[in-house]
Amino acid sequence: MNNISVDTLIKVIVLTPFVGGLLAFIGGKIHRWIRFLIAIVFSFASVFETFMLYNVSIGNIHWGSLFGSELVFQTNPITWLFLFIVTGMSALIVLFSIGDMEEDKMKLDSYYMHLLFVEGAMAGIVLAGDLITFFIFWEIMSWTSYFLVIYGGKKSLDAGYKYIIMSVIGAYAMFIAMALLYGKAHSLVYADVANVLATSSPSFTIWVVVLLAIGLFVKAAVMPLHTWLPDAHSEAPSPVSPLLSGVLIKMGAYGLFIVLYAFLTVNLAGKIMPKVFSTPVLLYIIQWLAGLSIVLATFLAIMQEDAKRLLAYSSISQIGYVVLGIATATSLGVAGGLFHALNHAIFKGLLFLAVGSVIYRTGTRNLSELGGLVKKMPFTFVALLVGIIALAGVPPMSGFVSKWMIYEALLQKKEVFLLIMAFVGSTGAFLYVYRLVHSIFLGQLPQKYENVKDVPIIMQIPMWVLAILTMVFGVMPGIAMDVIVKGIEFFGFKPIAYTLYGFPAGTAMGSLKVINIVSVLMIAFIASWIFFLLFSKTRKVSQYDNYAAGQVVTPELKYNYSFGFYMSFGRVIKPIFKWSIERVYNYWVDACKIFGDYYMRRVYTGNLGTYNSYILIVVTIAAAAILLGGKLW
Amino acid sequence: MVIEKVLMAVGAPLIAFAIGLSFIMLKRKVVPRIQRRYGPPVIQPIYDVLKLLLKEENISHGIIFSLGPIIAVAGSILAVFFIPMGGWNMLSGSADLIALLYIMAIGSLGMALGAGDSANPNASIGISRALTLMFGYDLPLVIIVISVALYYNTTSLPDIIAAQAHGNWTAWALPLAAIVGFIVVYGALGEHPFDIITAPHEVATGPMVEYGGKHLGLLMINHAFHIYLEIALFVDLFLGGGSNLLEFYVKMFVVFFIMIFFDSVFPRFRIDDAVRFYWKWPAIIALVNLVIVLVR
Repeated sequence: MNNISVDTLIKVIVLTPFVGGLLAFIGGKIHRWIRFLIAIVFSFASVFETFMLYNVSIGNIHWGSLFGSELVFQTNPITWLFLFIVTGMSALIVLFSIGDMEEDKMKLDSYYMHLLFVEGAMAGIVLAGDLITFFIFWEIMSWTSYFLVIYGGKKSLDAGYKYIIMSVIGAYAMFIAMALLYGKAHSLVYADVANVLATSSPSFTIWVVVLLAIGLFVKAAVMPLHTWLPDAHSEAPSPVSPLLSGVLIKMGAYGLFIVLYAFLTVNLAGKIMPKVFSTPVLLYIIQWLAGLSIVLATFLAIMQEDAKRLLAYSSISQIGYVVLGIATATSLGVAGGLFHALNHAIFKGLLFLAVGSVIYRTGTRNLSELGGLVKKMPFTFVALLVGIIALAGVPPMSGFVSKWMIYEALLQKKEVFLLIMAFVGSTGAFLYVYRLVHSIFLGQLPQKYENVKDVPIIMQIPMWVLAILTMVFGVMPGIAMDVIVKGIEFFGFKPIAYTLYGFPAGTAMGSLKVINIVSVLMIAFIASWIFFLLFSKTRKVSQYDNYAAGQVVTPELKYNYSFGFYMSFGRVIKPIFKWSIERVYNYWVDACKIFGDYYMRRVYTGNLGTYNSYILIVVTIAAAAILLGGKLW
Repeated sequence: MVIEKVLMAVGAPLIAFAIGLSFIMLKRKVVPRIQRRYGPPVIQPIYDVLKLLLKEENISHGIIFSLGPIIAVAGSILAVFFIPMGGWNMLSGSADLIALLYIMAIGSLGMALGAGDSANPNASIGISRALTLMFGYDLPLVIIVISVALYYNTTSLPDIIAAQAHGNWTAWALPLAAIVGFIVVYGALGEHPFDIITAPHEVATGPMVEYGGKHLGLLMINHAFHIYLEIALFVDLFLGGGSNLLEFYVKMFVVFFIMIFFDSVFPRFRIDDAVRFYWKWPAIIALVNLVIVLVR
């Protein structure tokens, strides 16, 4: 592919969703099926264009002028990886939305427009070649995703408000960093930024990186900047949650990767700051934030009673693994972090879609009201099962391989405390994923759900695709490694050795060959099944034919253990919940309010006479200024 | 060569099962003697399993309910191939110690799914306790796994065993880790005072409450595997594995024999106290051991 066509292709990729969004909005005015068709065609066109961009690396494509500055784009394998996540997930979510979002409940024209706009904005972020372009698309993403969040009804308005306020604070931090950089270099192209940071004083470099990281961490929901996520992700409509949790928070991870390894390179970081466990101290602090996110969010997820809130907290925990991997600054760790970003997008998208399907059929996401749905929604059960196996990091699903890489990288660097945290988060995941599958699909089926059916085929297709991808990446991680290893090489890391089915000895402290695990498991499973079938047949009994210490179980009796599933564990971790960063923020907000009430009331008295006198004073000063020839001082 | 491999593939699970079964027999005989009873005949566990498997009436609450015991046995057989047995390394080259921790979880998680499908709150409470206890002993377990891996600078089990050749056992080099490892394995086997999961007087055998007939037979087979897996991992990590099967068996026998004595004298923990216990002393001792390995 020659340069000119790559040039055009990138512009087309960024424009496709935006054009599609506008057309869907207009088309929806004519008929809803035109809107669906346009949304599907344009979102799948983006996926197709993404595949055309495969294996292309190019820098600094300038495009047009916006307020006197140009938009700059670039592409490399890492960009491609995230672009694949963005376009692929968006297309599947559009499909799911068609089944899930019902016309009579709300106006949907602008829904598809915002959905495609978010996709376009995220494509713009990953393809951006300078910070201005990055920031423009970043803000488009924040605002359009805010509109998506508030589609979820009354409660989502508060959640969206919190989300956008925190996003704006993060954006300010990034903007200050950009202003500082622009003051020095007069160009924000990635290569120039790296040069400026390399030649400036260490304190300037660290300030810029910290400010950029604050903006990115708000989006990536790294503790302590995560407080918007549980509300926004759980209150958003079902098809939007996978977009937020699967894709949008990965933009923070992508940004972090760019900031750490394109701007502040490992060499530079090693030069300007001391090292802990052979890691530059700034990266080590980021690792600790990620580690705390993993452990604390896991504890919080275990105690949730709401399916989507549980998944939202687990997103904070899993993004912790991504950030932890990226911040290790070794080939294996960074590759593991990026791979986990891909895997998390897929399996968390799958989980949110499966939970969304349950909400679609039952109308509730309260775990203690559900139960026994495995007999009514078998397909959704399988989809959710694949997702939770991957989330728990158990072979043979994809989450296992990426977590394994992160563990090995930490072990190689002897960062034992973070490694312990990563392990604890993974075992804790067993608890909350079992809670999820048990309370929804296992246990007693309440009478009111006797007639529930599986979701329509258009909502099943996205889950099929994601479930298959989870298994494929789990058994054959080499497919994803093709892209990731090229990507980390592009950013100056040593490539790691890998095979289609795992990692040979020497890459990590041990070796891994997933195909052996999977095939032995399959053979063992078939063997034990045959052994099981050798004996006399089973007889199916109803769920009311059950042991109840001599009592008779009737349909009216709720004979199910689903509320407060880990109550006894809650007693163990109670001391941790005494602290809450949210309370600190609320305290700060209250302080601002008191300050505002006390001082602002002196100015904004609410009295018309006072305001009139302000106007008079301003007019007088202005008049005086004009009379004095514009010279007041 | 091929025949040898096929023999190994079929033989390893059978040997593992036989070892596990012999330990169950031992326990059924030794515990009564400690309690000054006579106890059942030695081969009573075999009678039990056969009786259950050959029952004519087997009830099921659904497909997942029936799959639970099958996945449990399949997961255990899988794990057998990744833990070196005597002189046999089998497949342990394709999954290291860290991967093994998660491979060993497959069976129990499959079992948890099946138990959940029985629509009985006793089973659900049992699973809730099982996972909580697992979370409890996992913290000290990962700390000692990390310290052993750092001590030998590898996570490959065959390499760790090779480094312990000629009596240089990890238990002599890192005695604290071995003590914690013993407590962790002991809890993972659910012996007193950690028999919170099945606790017959509280949750009517917990996860197994609705299982009977051939399902329960499979679960008893799985119990034999489970005993083998946990103790084999302990022996490989801390007692130098074994150059042949007999040496391996003797080491496992000694470990299990000591465990029986602990099992006979303790009452039962409350679940949150069990977690608190694991996160306190074993975790602290393991951390001390880890610091020793780090500064060494």
